Order: sequence, then C-alpha cells, then structure tokens
Amino acid sequence: MSTPLIHIEHIARTYEMGGETVHALRDVSLDIHSNEYVALMGPSGSGKSTLMNILGCLDTPSLGVYTFKGLDVNEMTDDDLAEIRNKEIGFVFQTFNLLPRATALKNIELPLIYSGISSQIRKERAIKALEDVGLGDRMLHRPNELSGGQRQRVAIARALVTEPSIILADEPTGNLDTKTGIEIMKLFQDLWSKGNTVILVTHEEDIARHARRIIRIRDGKVESDTINPNPVTSFEIP
Amino acid sequence: MNILESIIQALQSIKANTLRTVLTLLSISIGIFAIIGAGTAVSTLEGSFNTQLVAMGQNTFMIKRTPSVNFGNSWRKYRNRKDITYQQAKDFKYQMEGISLVSLHNETDGYTAKRNNFFTDPVVTLIGADENFFVVKNFVIETGRAFGMSEVSSSAPVVIIGNDLVVQLFNGENPIGQFITLKTQQFQVIGTLKSQGSMFGRSLDAQAVIPLTVFSRYHSDEWTSSVEITTKAYSKEQLAEAVDESIGVMRSLRNLKPWEDNTFEVETNESVSSQFASFSNYLQVFGLGSGLISLLAAGVGIMNIMLVSVKERTKEIGIRKAIGAKRKWILFQFIIEAITLCQLGGLIGIFFGVLAGQGLGALINTEAAIPVNWVIFSIVICTLMGLAFGSYPAWKAASLDPIEALRYE
Repeated sequence: MSTPLIHIEHIARTYEMGGETVHALRDVSLDIHSNEYVALMGPSGSGKSTLMNILGCLDTPSLGVYTFKGLDVNEMTDDDLAEIRNKEIGFVFQTFNLLPRATALKNIELPLIYSGISSQIRKERAIKALEDVGLGDRMLHRPNELSGGQRQRVAIARALVTEPSIILADEPTGNLDTKTGIEIMKLFQDLWSKGNTVILVTHEEDIARHARRIIRIRDGKVESDTINPNPVTSFEIP
Repeated sequence: MNILESIIQALQSIKANTLRTVLTLLSISIGIFAIIGAGTAVSTLEGSFNTQLVAMGQNTFMIKRTPSVNFGNSWRKYRNRKDITYQQAKDFKYQMEGISLVSLHNETDGYTAKRNNFFTDPVVTLIGADENFFVVKNFVIETGRAFGMSEVSSSAPVVIIGNDLVVQLFNGENPIGQFITLKTQQFQVIGTLKSQGSMFGRSLDAQAVIPLTVFSRYHSDEWTSSVEITTKAYSKEQLAEAVDESIGVMRSLRNLKPWEDNTFEVETNESVSSQFASFSNYLQVFGLGSGLISLLAAGVGIMNIMLVSVKERTKEIGIRKAIGAKRKWILFQFIIEAITLCQLGGLIGIFFGVLAGQGLGALINTEAAIPVNWVIFSIVICTLMGLAFGSYPAWKAASLDPIEALRYE
C-alpha cells in the first residue's frame, strides 16, 4: 500500500483543567489512506472530538507521532497548521459554521482568500463549487435565507473549494431532519466515489453505516477498527 | 489580504451596532473637530490679517502706547504706561523730519453721523489726523481732496468720509461741499475715501477723518487716549535706521533713563505679524491640546468597542481560523476595522471642523481657508489611533485558540 495520508502512532492528549490532568486521548495509533471512507464513532467523552481536532490540525498531540502526507505535524507552528487546514482539510460542522453576514458565495470564497488566490479565479471556483452541491441559484443568499440542508451544502461546498486531501465532517447531519440528512449523506457518498477521502465523526450508528471503515473510540483508546461489511448504498427516502 | 474586504467587514459591524459605534465615533469626531476647527480658524484669521498687513505698506511702522495684538496676561505690564501726549507726538514729528514721514492720529468709536433726516447705523469711527495721514496710512482719496497743513493748524471743520457714510447719508447725491453733523458740530465734506472692504468682520468704510486739532477740541478738553504715531520710511533700506532713530527720539521725549525699558511699542509689519503668530499659536495649541485629550478618551473607547467586538465574534474568528486564516489575517482584519472606525469618526470631525471654520469666515466676512496640513495631520492621527488602540484587541483575536473559539456560543 502507498504511504498513508494520515499516520498517527501512540498519540496522547492531556489537558490541564483546574489543576487536574484530563486524559482525553491515551494511546491511539492509526493510518488513513487516500480515498478511504471512515467513520469515527464513540459516545460523548470518549475522546473522538479530541481525535478529530488533532486529525484536523486544529490541535496537536501531547505525545506521539502525527504525520500528514509525510509531514511531521508536531513540528508545525500555528501558522503552518493554519496552512494545512486551509489547503488539505475541508471541515464540515454540525452547526454549519457559516459566516452569518456573508452571502453563500462569499462564504465559499473565504478559504480561497486565505490561500491568496486572485479574486477572478476565486469567484469562478466558488461558483463551480456551489453548482456542484446543487445551489447554483442561491449564490447571493445569506445563511439565514437558506434551509438547514442548503446551509450544510454551502458548508460542504466551502470544504471542497480548496480541493483538500480530506473531508472531515463532524456530526454533519446532527442538526438536520432525516430526509435532509439522507441527502447530505448521499452527497458524501458521491464525493467518496469521485476519489475524495472522507472522515465522518458521529455517534449515530445509522450515519456510521455509510462508511466503509468504522473506528470506535472509548476512554481515549481505539476500541475497534473494522471494515464495514454492509455499507449503506441506497438513499431511498423513507 | 484584501483591504477592501476588511473595510466592508468593518462597515458591516458598524451597521450591526449603530448606537454603540456612533457614541464612540462621536468622541473621535469631537477631538478632530477641535483640531480642525482651531486650524481653520487660525488659517482664516491669518489669511485675513496678512491681506490687511500688505495693504498697510512695507515701510511703515507705528509707535503706540500698547501693542495692537495682545494675548495672555501681559496687559498688566502695559496698563500703567503713560499716554503719548499730543505734545510729545508733535515734538516727535518735528524731530523726525527729514528722516521719515510721520503721521499723527487718534480715533474714537461710537459716533453717529447725521445729515438732514439721514443718519448712520452702525456707528462711525471718527479719526482725527494730520496732513500726512492719508499718504502714510494708504488712505486713498476717491473724490474731492484731502485736507492740508493749513487746515490742520487752523482747525478747519472739514471732513473726509468713508464709503458707508456716502451710501447712508447721501443716497446717490454728490457729497462734496455738503455738510454733515458729527455730535453737535457741522463739517463740510471735502473728500471721500476709496472703499477698503472689511477686516475681521468690521467694515473699514464706516470712517470719517477730521483734522487732529479739531478732534482734540471736539473730543474732550484733555487727551483721554494716546496719540498714535505712524511713521513711513522713505525707502525699505531706511526702515531699520528710521526705527532706531524713532526709538531714541521717543525715549528722550519720555525722559527714560538708559536702564529703563521702553514705555511704548514700536510695531513694524513684522512685529505685528509675530504678535499675531503668537496669538494664533495659543489658539492652535489649545485646539490641539483639547483635541488630543478628547482623542485619548476616544482611543480608550475604540479599544473597548473592539474588545467587545472580538468577544462577540469569537465564533466567527474560530470559523476563520478553522478554514485556514493565519494569525496575521485575523490581526490585519481587526486592525483595519479599528482604523476604519477611527477614520470614519475623523472624517465626521473634519467635515464639521471645516464647516465651523467656514462659518467663522462668513461671520468675519473673509474667505475661510481649509487647513490642508491639519486635515492630513488628522487623517494620520486617526490611522495611528486605529493602530495604537486596535492592536491589543486584534492581537487578542489572533491569539484565540481555534477549538475554544469554535465552541463559543
């Protein structure tokens, strides 16, 4: 197999809280390769959010090795991490996290602004990304003028516009009704089948079943790491 | 990154919190208003003043009891000075003969000139002058003639009137040869003065010039105010010499001992403008001082509003960081926002400051100058303020932990 996209080895993450040391992650090792579709599962307090933050380069491990595309993340400065987040990682959040005062188009342009792309190309790429998620007719709407599903589509378009190595989705359907949730999951399925790498963070079995590989976290450790024998492939709306 | 984007962002956040922002901007506006207002006032006064000085003539200087422009508490120094008496002035004129042309005059305000049913309003400045007055003071005769030495020595009841009197008393008639009444005495009009416009809002045409000898008898038995001596050197080269000579003559006439200071003022164009400059410096320093204090208060307000803004937009900062904004982008965004705020307040201040200056100009009837250097200074100050007071909040924003910031609700 080729070099993994993500390689973590015996990582741990501790926090100091009110004089006490909290062990959010104790000893986690895993590799994620290009074009995998992974679900990261675990109850709240299991450490999956901490793991997601580390995978997403929002945080760095206290101990252990994390290499992203062969680069040592532990060695990176805050600005290096920002650059990795900008170019390599597309975040999709449960609460969408769009800028409320900016139009859909502006929201999608934002990561391109930070990577220093000229306004002309920026706009073209943002329009294309928005069309790809089926919102070509909503470009100048602000988030509060869009439905939950549409907002999440804008967020996905924003995640995709920089053509990142990984889509990192944290409970992407948590704030959506079932029907819209299924539509969003279909979108992830399509992205994966087009060659993208997708990591889903969720505590819902129904959502996790879409992934090809399921990693379960409990008490800061990997409880199981299995291939999903029966991934969901039909997106019938019940 | 994109400055325009940051400015738009700043304007949007101003719009979102209009009242709060406007209150803060107001203090900047007041500070800049004080600076610009004083600047405009000074430029306007200076412009008006210099125009008049040029009109007075290059080679002319005056000897007076007290300085014409006096600012501060130095009036105590001048209060006890003895008047320059008519006798002293006459002796001075006699001794200066051949060195320079000397004119004596005295003046008093508050006269109403009458003719039949016409009378002047506002009141007229009555000038008692000798025969050299018109040449030395650049009072140009428009029609008729000036009075001569014989008319002065014989106390002839003749008058030369300014344009305001011509308009108000004669209503289109030819005034030459006619009579007007000043107080209770009748005067024959022998000439009219060329219109001089106005200075500091006062018409210079509401004047009537009569022989000094008549003035002395007519005004009161005693000289109640000092005679002013105006001296015109025959050429520019002779000015310094004439000034020195006149100081010597005046000191001996006033019996000053060598160690005593002059008990009179010698004012050349230059010395009057330097007196005026010290006055305008006071005004400028006052405007600048009060402006800067107000700006300091405003700066604290700006910092406060920016800190609140950073707090309120913690989530937004988290989002920006998550999608790859480096520290410098966040820093830049908030500093630009602070500068935009300051500039907006500053522009309002500049606008009203210039407006106030124009108002003053209109009031004193001169064209108001826009103090370009002070406007530039204000813009620079506002930029520096944005930098100074926006840096800490911006730094705070840039230093936020992205995870914490994203979690903030």
